[in-house]
Amino acid sequence: MDSLLIDASLLQQMLIGALLGLSVYLPLRCGQLSLATPGFYAIGGTLAALLSTRVAALGGAEPVYPLSSVLLEMLLAAGLAGGLAVGIGRVVLRLRGVYLAIATIALVEILRVTTLNQESLGGAVGIFGIPQPFLDPEGYALFTLIALALVSWLCDRLERQRLGRAMEAIREDELAAACQGIDTDRTKLVAFVLSAVVAAITGVISAHFLNSWNARLGNFDASITTLAFVVFGGSRTWAGPVLGGLTLTALPELLRPIGDLRLIVFGLVILVGPLLLPQGLITPERLQRLVRLVRRIPPLAPRSEGP
Amino acid sequence: MSTTVPLLQTRHLGVRFGGLQALDSIDLEVQAGEIFGLLGPNGAGKTTLFNLISGVTPASSGEVLWRGGAIHGMDANRIARLGIARTFQNLRLFQSLSCRDNVLVGLHRHARLSWPAALLGTPLARRHHRQLLERAQGLLELLEIGHLGDQLAAGLSYGDRRRLEIARALANTPELLLLDEPAAGMNPTEKEELRHLIRSLRNRFDLTVLIIEHHVPLMLGLCDRLAVLNFGRRIALGTPDAVRNDPAVIEAYLGGQP
Repeated sequence: MDSLLIDASLLQQMLIGALLGLSVYLPLRCGQLSLATPGFYAIGGTLAALLSTRVAALGGAEPVYPLSSVLLEMLLAAGLAGGLAVGIGRVVLRLRGVYLAIATIALVEILRVTTLNQESLGGAVGIFGIPQPFLDPEGYALFTLIALALVSWLCDRLERQRLGRAMEAIREDELAAACQGIDTDRTKLVAFVLSAVVAAITGVISAHFLNSWNARLGNFDASITTLAFVVFGGSRTWAGPVLGGLTLTALPELLRPIGDLRLIVFGLVILVGPLLLPQGLITPERLQRLVRLVRRIPPLAPRSEGP
Repeated sequence: MSTTVPLLQTRHLGVRFGGLQALDSIDLEVQAGEIFGLLGPNGAGKTTLFNLISGVTPASSGEVLWRGGAIHGMDANRIARLGIARTFQNLRLFQSLSCRDNVLVGLHRHARLSWPAALLGTPLARRHHRQLLERAQGLLELLEIGHLGDQLAAGLSYGDRRRLEIARALANTPELLLLDEPAAGMNPTEKEELRHLIRSLRNRFDLTVLIIEHHVPLMLGLCDRLAVLNFGRRIALGTPDAVRNDPAVIEAYLGGQP
């Protein structure tokens, strides 16, 4: 495993990045620039850290934390974050563009400062010794990969139906969308809630993987980083944020051999990416071209296996 | 006119933008099946009236009645779901979506499917989706842009964009269609085609049409009745012949007699 460029640990972080990218993507699909993802990520992480370290019934007596407890935490985190998102969304989604971005940054900061000053939530020290459901990073990576595949699949289905089309229509022209009978407020709220749920379950996985959790994990920097995933990868189809999350999480690690220069290279990539590809790496049109290209190849395969 | 409840009625409808009374106490009755025209010089308040009816702008005073029930104050999306569709004077297509997807968005209120079925892509969901695609294609063909389904709306010619907007509005299967300057930028032949198109759409879909257009000969030839607005007031109402000879209309368009 050591000889590989990407080990399971890094792969795990990349998958987490991809999930967070999807969380930023969902509101952005309806044109809503929400930077609340790290806030809901922190809610998931804090909840998982608290439950798994303080509720004895969840851990059992086993040395390996039961997977069912992790799933239960994910369910609770999804419920909590989703419920909060409904309440917060009703208020903040009245704002548009950069005002919405600022309001959601404020939300992230409120959550961070609250956690920092509340001893029961870990305070400034954080929560340590979060029990491990998997003994090696490979286990985590596999679990996260399944989660990512599931969320990606859901996004893919979403894009092909009524709700996904309505989201796109709102991004293109909110007024015209309303005049087609689309309940724009409700659609934006649904996207915001889905985004919160994805971020929260990602937080749960992350808390166990990181073994400790503190308030600094969901801050303004994370807002910008996760936004970069989507800007770089593309915000028009789910594959964009997934690719953006994977590559931009891996890049600083892969560039480690060149020392501090890697930060400059990383910055350049983020700067040049949107300049050369304003719509991001992946657009539906490019994806279609790729599919057509791949479809042209398969006929070769049976021939090579022929008698 | 008749004793039946008009499809659409406005009563003392008005709106103020700061110090400007954009519309002042407008009374209109549009009967089902009519092609009703709105004429008037620039700034008369025609598009503003459309915005009030479609719920885009809230009214300051008066009321809008749909089949006798008040609809002013409703959100635009609820009004659209009642069966009132509109086009926009300055074209508001979903630019980076394909023509087909633009019409599919217009079919929003007909794409009713439980979300688990839609998510799992059950056979029912697939059949439902195929039907939607067929309807969208049918509408594109009706507007003679059937071959452009895969093209992005942003890449269309001006006339085709106008057609696409009408196709998208028809996808809603409205009872009332509000057309805001559909002939703008069209040449005389296209205008003549448009006149036939609107008439045939009315007959085919049992539509009631409320239309704003500057081209007076087109309007006189097309509309059953017309209202003329000037400076936010209704200055004339009646059949094309009556409106044509109305002294108030002549004064609004040509200026008063010295």
